[in-house]
Amino acid sequence: MALGEHESRSEGPESRLGFSLGPDHASFDVDETVYPLDAIYGGCYLFVDRCYVFLTRSGPRLVNVRLTSREPATAAELDALAGEFVNELLSQATRLRLSQATARIREYYTAAALRAAASAPSVDDLLAELDAEELGDDPLEIAVPWEEKAGDKGTDPK
Amino acid sequence: MGRITFERSLYSPEAVEAAAAAYAEYAEITLERSGDAVVAVVGAVTGGDRRTVESSFCNFALQETVVRMRRAAASEEE
Repeated sequence: MALGEHESRSEGPESRLGFSLGPDHASFDVDETVYPLDAIYGGCYLFVDRCYVFLTRSGPRLVNVRLTSREPATAAELDALAGEFVNELLSQATRLRLSQATARIREYYTAAALRAAASAPSVDDLLAELDAEELGDDPLEIAVPWEEKAGDKGTDPK
Repeated sequence: MGRITFERSLYSPEAVEAAAAAYAEYAEITLERSGDAVVAVVGAVTGGDRRTVESSFCNFALQETVVRMRRAAASEEE
């Protein structure tokens, strides 16, 4: 069967997790109303290094994911591969929803950080401020040497 | 000769074209464009076995699609 053609549901060994298993592949439908296409892409992107991934449309809002092993694999291994994929799908969908839900607050914090950075004084401003300070005043006489301050009281008793 | 149907709602046609160009040295690939799909006709395979070349070509097309879509989404946000 050419890639991209739809296959019949039961075609080989039994899947413990309900996937459709072939001699070297597992396939299953993903409902886009539950898992957005971006989440499906996210899962695919992580799995292209491990297996061959191919997507087809099996219905208006259904995406058929076909995972083909690179090496010969048992039904249990294919089942595990597909199981890991759907777990990843769940994780990607959750991340996506969290990211969408917190988008406004992230924008707010970024804007606040940029505003704070823009209003922070520059090095030149700080140097100018130091120059402007009256350094001649020394009410605590910090700049006066100890001998001058102590006078005779400061001399060694010997 | 294998025919691989890439649906436009799932694969970016530009990504499929990029994959065909990248795999030109491994197989003769011609693309047929229709309304809702791009069909890749894979002719003689020169580098490796047909299954590996065809499947790797599909992976490349998918990976390119994801990268291009993410890039487009990021540039929209900017």
